[in-house]
Amino acid sequence: MKAFDNYNPITVFIYFASVITIGMFCLNPVTMNPLILFLSLAGAVTTYLIRNRTEGAQSHLFFFVMFILLTVINPLFNHNGVTVLLIINNNPVTLEALLYGAASAAAIIGVIYWFRSFSQIMTSDKLLYILGNISPKFALILSMTLRYVPMFEKQTQKVIQAQRGLGLYSDTDFMSRVRGGTRVFSVMVTWALENGVITSDSMTARGYGITKRTFFSIFKFRRQDIILSAASVILFLIILAGVISGSVNFKFYPEISYAGTTVISVITYIAYGLLAFLPAFTESGEELRWKYLKSRI
Amino acid sequence: MITIKNASLRKVLRIAIPFALVPAVIVAGVYLFKENSYMLISVAVIILSLLLFISGFEKKKTGTRRLIIVAIMTALSVVGRFIPVFKPVTAMTVITAVYIGGEAGFLVGAMSALISNFWFGQGPWTPFQMFAWGMIGLVGGLLSKYLKKSRVALVIYGVVAGLAYSLIMDFWALIWNNEIISMEAYLASLVTAIPYTIVYSASNLMFFALLAKPFGEKLERVKLKYGV
Amino acid sequence: MEILKVENLSFTYPLCNEKAIDGISFSVDRGDFITVCGATGCGKSTLMRMIKKELTPLGDMTGRVFYKGRDINTLSEAETACSIGFVAQRPEEQIVTDKVWHELAFGLENMGIARDIIRRRVSEMTCYFGIEDWFEKSVSELSGGQKQLLNLASVMVMQPDVLILDEPTAQLDPIAASDFIATLSKLNRDLSLTVIITEHRLEEVIPVSNRLLAMECGKILKYGETRQVVASLRENDVFTRGMPAAVRIFNSFDLNGPCPLTAREGRDYIESNFPNTVISLEETDERNDKKETVLEFSDVYFKYAKELPDVLRGLDFKVYKGEIFCIMGGNGSGKSTCLSVAAGLHRPYSGNVRVLGKKIKDYKKNELYRECLSLLPQDVQTVFLKNTVKEELEDVKSNEDFLPYDLSGLYERHPYDISGGQQQLLALAKVLSTSPKILLLDEPTKGLDAYAKKEIGDILKRLRNGGMTVICVTHDVEFAAEYADRCAMFFRGEITSCGVPSEFFSGNNFYTTAANRMTSGYYKNITTVSDAVKIMRMNRTEGAL
Ligand SMILES: Nc1ncnc2c1ncn2[C@@H]1O[C@H](COP(=O)(O)OP(=O)(O)OP(=O)(O)O)[C@@H](O)[C@H]1O
Ligand SMILES: Nc1ncnc2c1ncn2[C@@H]1O[C@H](COP(=O)(O)OP(=O)(O)OP(=O)(O)O)[C@@H](O)[C@H]1O
Ligand SMILES: [Mg+2]
Ligand SMILES: [Mg+2]
Repeated sequence: MKAFDNYNPITVFIYFASVITIGMFCLNPVTMNPLILFLSLAGAVTTYLIRNRTEGAQSHLFFFVMFILLTVINPLFNHNGVTVLLIINNNPVTLEALLYGAASAAAIIGVIYWFRSFSQIMTSDKLLYILGNISPKFALILSMTLRYVPMFEKQTQKVIQAQRGLGLYSDTDFMSRVRGGTRVFSVMVTWALENGVITSDSMTARGYGITKRTFFSIFKFRRQDIILSAASVILFLIILAGVISGSVNFKFYPEISYAGTTVISVITYIAYGLLAFLPAFTESGEELRWKYLKSRI
Repeated sequence: MITIKNASLRKVLRIAIPFALVPAVIVAGVYLFKENSYMLISVAVIILSLLLFISGFEKKKTGTRRLIIVAIMTALSVVGRFIPVFKPVTAMTVITAVYIGGEAGFLVGAMSALISNFWFGQGPWTPFQMFAWGMIGLVGGLLSKYLKKSRVALVIYGVVAGLAYSLIMDFWALIWNNEIISMEAYLASLVTAIPYTIVYSASNLMFFALLAKPFGEKLERVKLKYGV
Repeated sequence: MEILKVENLSFTYPLCNEKAIDGISFSVDRGDFITVCGATGCGKSTLMRMIKKELTPLGDMTGRVFYKGRDINTLSEAETACSIGFVAQRPEEQIVTDKVWHELAFGLENMGIARDIIRRRVSEMTCYFGIEDWFEKSVSELSGGQKQLLNLASVMVMQPDVLILDEPTAQLDPIAASDFIATLSKLNRDLSLTVIITEHRLEEVIPVSNRLLAMECGKILKYGETRQVVASLRENDVFTRGMPAAVRIFNSFDLNGPCPLTAREGRDYIESNFPNTVISLEETDERNDKKETVLEFSDVYFKYAKELPDVLRGLDFKVYKGEIFCIMGGNGSGKSTCLSVAAGLHRPYSGNVRVLGKKIKDYKKNELYRECLSLLPQDVQTVFLKNTVKEELEDVKSNEDFLPYDLSGLYERHPYDISGGQQQLLALAKVLSTSPKILLLDEPTKGLDAYAKKEIGDILKRLRNGGMTVICVTHDVEFAAEYADRCAMFFRGEITSCGVPSEFFSGNNFYTTAANRMTSGYYKNITTVSDAVKIMRMNRTEGAL
């Protein structure tokens, strides 16, 4: 089992919403607290690694390079800060700008990683479940579209081959590819519209639009969901309070300055640490429970 | 979910909220709370406006066939990527908007963004794309009278829409990269984006020139045959 | 108890002067299993759609339909939606949502039924149809047969009293089709569900249906208890041709007595009326003498993607000049794939394919299609590009005097507005326009009535005699037995048996013609009804002496 897969989509959504919101909230010149940002990054990467252990390793490299770039680009354009490291065609490159770059890079890439895990866990049907509670009709259209996409892709291939089999389709040069493409596309449109009518018949035949739809789903809201969402929300509120209270404020410009370590700030950091590593915790919790159960047998 | 009784008011709101309010609020947010994150505000506002729109859509009674056509057009615009250079989303959105209506256009645009991101990966940019393309559809619907009349107008709108899309997304990229919003920076980013924008507009132009008419015919035919 | 009643119903499509339905009246009792048969375009679908209120097409309609004594127009929307279920021809397009479980729930969602009730009904239905294994799959992973079963199931969750099916098995292979029909009769027996079904393939449905409604040009020709109607249609050639083999055999003799419907009854009828002193017809067999090879597969392996399983597994066969070569086999066994490989649309990763003695790799772009071969795809709608039939033909520069048949009646129609059979013929016309030496056909007879099948069959024969080689994938064993020079059985990506029809089908037990099933062990190598009749005649005269 992979982190969060068997949690209710709403829970998953709440969790990611809170962790990402904080991640973004701190993405601004005032509360841009390196510790929080790096916690976010670490948590995000860990979560991603938990799900897909070693596969897609090269993508990590890509993001690492991105991190470096973002870090070094900032000081080249942004010349605030007092500690001048060097001068490039009489523009100062400052330490503050460099660190600021690193911090924002951490923030950005952290958020990206959160979203990578998010899109993996929040598969289309889970998203549909959430939307279905807001607007069944929109969810229905979405579901229909999601069904059409693979269907159309298959049909497109069929059309191309049919046309080839008649010697009417060639993709030798670029222009003929475009021409062929548009030709096929217009066939697809006719086909899709015509057959769409059959679909709509089968919808009406099954009483679509008679009354307000309910939205059925196979997802359940279990105890673990309650616990996890509660945890996320509480931690979220604590951190938010902490951040707003300004006790984790962190300024890079003109020179690095931050509110001193107070009880509140420590609590905030711990809370965010917990939040960011929740998936890791649930995961290892599962592991332990299974080991335990095995040992009992 | 909030309901607005007065139909005309609802119509006005459905257009006013995303169209006027959202950018206003974003900009306001950006300048008022200098302290806080533009990113967060904008994403929040955008999601809110999308939800408002959707809820408004939920209240309306939509015919099955319209529903189907929206689904089909969206799927087509997602699948249509296989044609070299074409990025049919804008085109499909506009065409739907013109022939089926602004709301349909909005949905096609917004859903195309959402769904293609199931393949390209969701991100904080998703709501923005949804918004940008949705708006293109909505406006197209408002202008449909004129766009239906002259092919030229349609093509022009298509290209302009393409540009508008790039502008909005650049704006978003700007916030995302977390610089202090400054006109210079914005313009600079626009300049850097010019070549891409040109290619994009060109492909749009091509697409409209080639497909706008047959598309219209097909849609009209279906409308006629099955009374959409 | 009468559940459905139709009172002189008439219907005219807009912009049409002749009626599609003309003064039809009949009544249906609870638990009836009614088969509606008739030639293409006689108005079956239209009639079905009139009974299902929501699907009644645009046009002017006179007459009334009663459900449980009440005019269906007075019923509430919810009532009609729930109590009359409808399943149509194409499995693919009827499915609305992307997941199986969601599809099953769809109808109930529309009714605004509470989630837990939906959950109960859906799970119940899932068990009844035995589809737990793919409950959570997405629809795009299902086979045609499974899709149609899903359609049926997702109509059944609404708990209808009447189920209307419009050629539900047209797109399925024989095995899937007979399973589907079996499920229907089970529903009919278990839930005393009233079933009204239109079919062109009557072999399976006639035996399970207790009433038969024969239509002709929008009118009812006969309606009543199956056996009686079948017997009374004895003289009518159009209907006789579509009937089960047993009936056709019975009809070709003037013996009286109850008309056999199933293969078993047919066998009894034969054994009780005809001796088997003459066991087999003398083979008039000039076919399998050596001819030049036009298409050769030698040890071909193919798969659609690296990670996917092999679809063609060491496929190995020859096709000779000027023969009709029929390929049969279950759904997903790789027949279409085989054709597209033969047409050079896919490259095998091992082994090679020779067309007219030349390796397929060595053909330049499109040269292959211009001169040598041409492929009619399984889904003929994929070859239509234009807005009218005329434009379609002009698109490939094919003119009527060149065609072996006439389409001029349809020139102004849109390719999607003509009947299934006509679409097949139009597509075939486009394919023939390239004047190929080798003609590859993928299921050219699906969804056609007996008459249209005969037409296509004769066309193939004519082309064959003109020196063209025809390779035809089909699910229709009767068709293959009738027209093929050689038949081949496709199984898991290879050809497992191959030969002239008489021997080929005698070799199979299940995958064979009804005539063969009826006569096997009594006569030898009988595949078609005409053969059966011939040998029976001989025995009769023998017996008379
Ligand atoms: N949408 C339509 N517009 C005009 N005429 C139509 C339409 N649909 C069918 N028809 C005509 O009405 C008649 C009956 O059509 P219908 O589809 O009911 O025949 P059918 O018995 O179902 O044929 P098949 O066995 O091929 O399904 C045919 O002559 C057909 O050409
Ligand atoms: N484009 C494709 N991509 C991947 N797999 C495919 C593709 N087309 C077919 N297959 C698989 O290849 C196998 C053979 O498919 P094919 O269509 O050749 O079977 P078939 O014998 O023609 O079936 P049918 O009788 O239903 O036409 C099936 O398992 C199918 O799932
Ligand atoms: Mg029909
Ligand atoms: Mg096939």
